[in-house]
Amino acid sequence: MSTPGPERVPSTVKVDKTTGQGKPPAAKSGSGKPGSAKPGSRPGAKGGNKGKGRRPVTPVKVSGGRNWGPIAVAGAVILVAAGIIGYGVYASVQGSQPWEDRAAAIEGVVDYRSQNNAQINDQTHKDGTLTYVTNPPVGGAHNATWQNCMGDIYTEPIANEHAVHSLEHGAVWVTYKQGLADDQVAKLRERVEGKDYMLLSPIANLDKNVSVQVWGYQLKVDDAADTRIDDFIKTTRVKASLEPGAACSGGNTTSDPVTAGSNGTSMDNGTQQ
Amino acid sequence: MISEVASPDADAASGEATSPSRRFGYIAVATLILGLILGVAAGLVVPRLGNPADDSVEAGFLRDMSTHHAQAVEMAMLAHTGSTTPGIVTLANDIALTQQGQIGYMQAWLRDWHLSPTGSEEPMAWMPNSAGSIVDGLMPGMATADQMTSLRQATGNDLDVEFLTLMRAHHLGGIHMAQEAIELSDDENVDWIANSMVVAQQGEIQLIDSLLKQVQPG
Repeated sequence: MSTPGPERVPSTVKVDKTTGQGKPPAAKSGSGKPGSAKPGSRPGAKGGNKGKGRRPVTPVKVSGGRNWGPIAVAGAVILVAAGIIGYGVYASVQGSQPWEDRAAAIEGVVDYRSQNNAQINDQTHKDGTLTYVTNPPVGGAHNATWQNCMGDIYTEPIANEHAVHSLEHGAVWVTYKQGLADDQVAKLRERVEGKDYMLLSPIANLDKNVSVQVWGYQLKVDDAADTRIDDFIKTTRVKASLEPGAACSGGNTTSDPVTAGSNGTSMDNGTQQ
Repeated sequence: MISEVASPDADAASGEATSPSRRFGYIAVATLILGLILGVAAGLVVPRLGNPADDSVEAGFLRDMSTHHAQAVEMAMLAHTGSTTPGIVTLANDIALTQQGQIGYMQAWLRDWHLSPTGSEEPMAWMPNSAGSIVDGLMPGMATADQMTSLRQATGNDLDVEFLTLMRAHHLGGIHMAQEAIELSDDENVDWIANSMVVAQQGEIQLIDSLLKQVQPG
């Protein structure tokens, strides 16, 4: 590679020599017609380019004929390599679409993360009762104690202040309008029961029958059978965590509201009441 | 270097003329370069192709065992906080920390494999003949919501007995799942952690039995 000049010259010379010597073999290789037939047209052009003086030595044919095999092999190898590389690129692009994009792409999902609302992004712990931008809340300051979200089924409304902390831990909070028909609630219950990073509770003044939320994303639907609920859960559960590895157990297990004076620092809220 | 490598090849192919050997040299170089490209490409892609798929036994086991472990951690933390029996406090501590640590391993592998930490299949779907093993969404050995409520409210000796009884059943369910995973999977990581679960939890069952004798009246 470092000495292309000197190498090339002898090689061309040799190629010509080969062709010279190769003429007899050309006759022999006549048996290999598929080889000699194709290159036949090409060498003609090559000969023209290379120089008039060498024209008599037409049998470039032979060298071309001999080279076709390796070229075909190399071509095949390149094709395979390109195929593998292409598939790899495709697979990685396909697999690397972030869950955030997939969540936002579900029809009806509201992406609050992209709104950069300081009140929703607030992750601080605050005592007492808190107010939230949305109903149900999708983020914001919250109580130090989270709501237990080990697939817990709450039949009464729970404190937003605890539930938002569960969202921070990666839980999907499934809520429904209080008083929703039992068969509808049962469909939601099936999705939550026995699954960690899930919790279910009614909400008194919900504007739709069902609202499903993780930190920063919310989906409201009218029918508990809506398959978008499943898409939402599949896409966001655990992944939505702002604190990877944070647990859902050890939280508050009651439905009691946070009182204005509570300091919220007790981890025993659930176990003692 | 390359020409040195190439020339013996060429000699082997045809020792007569020098020109074919030179040409074979170039072919050899081209082949080496192509091989290099192919190797790099394969190296980039094959690890991902070799990863367990979204519906694999491995993914199913890691997801389900994460959920299964999470409840054991919850029970152990309740006993760790509430029990006054030293042997139980120590056991609870061991279970909570070990299993929470294992959840970290399992979730990290799923992440490494570019798989979601949770699946959309039913729990235990990765295990053949698992239909019917799920009751109220709970995998084998898992405590029911009522049992968990009872455990939260229990104190003293009741707490000790309830915790040991629930954890014993929980371990049996977990061991069964881990054994199935070892049986069904050839993944090095999965087999390694599942085997450690079988061994550790079988040992803990013996400890639980001796503690049960200690705390159970009569």
